[in-house]
Amino acid sequence: MKRLDSILLKFFLYGIPAVIVFAAYSYFYSLGVVNHANVNLNFLNSFAGLVFALWMSLSLYLSVRLMVSGPFRDQVLAKLTFIRERDERESLLTGKATRTTFLTSLAILIFLFCLSCFQVSIYKLPSEMAVDGKTGIVSLGLGFNFLEHSKQDKPRETIEKKDIFSYTGLPVSNTTVILTIIVWQIMSYNYSMRRLTK
Amino acid sequence: MSKSLPQLKIVSRLHVLRAERRMTQEQLAKEVGVTRATIVAIEGGGYNPSLELAFRIARYFGADINTIFSIEEVTK
Repeated sequence: MKRLDSILLKFFLYGIPAVIVFAAYSYFYSLGVVNHANVNLNFLNSFAGLVFALWMSLSLYLSVRLMVSGPFRDQVLAKLTFIRERDERESLLTGKATRTTFLTSLAILIFLFCLSCFQVSIYKLPSEMAVDGKTGIVSLGLGFNFLEHSKQDKPRETIEKKDIFSYTGLPVSNTTVILTIIVWQIMSYNYSMRRLTK
Repeated sequence: MSKSLPQLKIVSRLHVLRAERRMTQEQLAKEVGVTRATIVAIEGGGYNPSLELAFRIARYFGADINTIFSIEEVTK
């Protein structure tokens, strides 16, 4: 299993340039830059799709292995995060740096959770809908949706209003948030480790 | 009510023993199976070795552990 994982990991890593090239080719193919009538170019596009599908399947398999296999996780993530545990002191420092990384990541996640729940809206109502002669409205709220784009999100009735400022949830995509957390974890760990070893 | 315990500091005579034997930190580190940085940290008081490492160092020098590591009360 260890040998197989090692081989698959190498395929995954060395396949990245090929996947990038094939993705670029498929992009241009979909734009119509490449001649669709050419059989060879059509075949190449299909082949690129197949390679990409295989690479994606491989990445899913490796992700699951990272979650369930301790030795594999140590082998891959230790290299990725530059973890070195050559003796008891470095093991202790690794623990301290990991603790700092865990707590700061948790703080960021809590902060992001609050931002994603928070809703602010400042708007003006039409004069016929004024409340006590006032048309300016400030609305504050907290929203939590278990599922993305749930049916409850849709308002039952719409009113004509002039939005001045509106904030509903995080303005960044899920992918950006996940990537930010990954980069933060690696940077935070390395910074803590450097600070501790000084 | 809990009584406040005195703050203790482990003092190492490792550098003295090492100098007597004309050993480098690198050589000692190799002998006891740690990195040079760990020896530097122990000698500088920045790291307290585990019991296992302390006994390994004592065994290497053929000395009692108390002659290498002693405890001092930190005065505020």
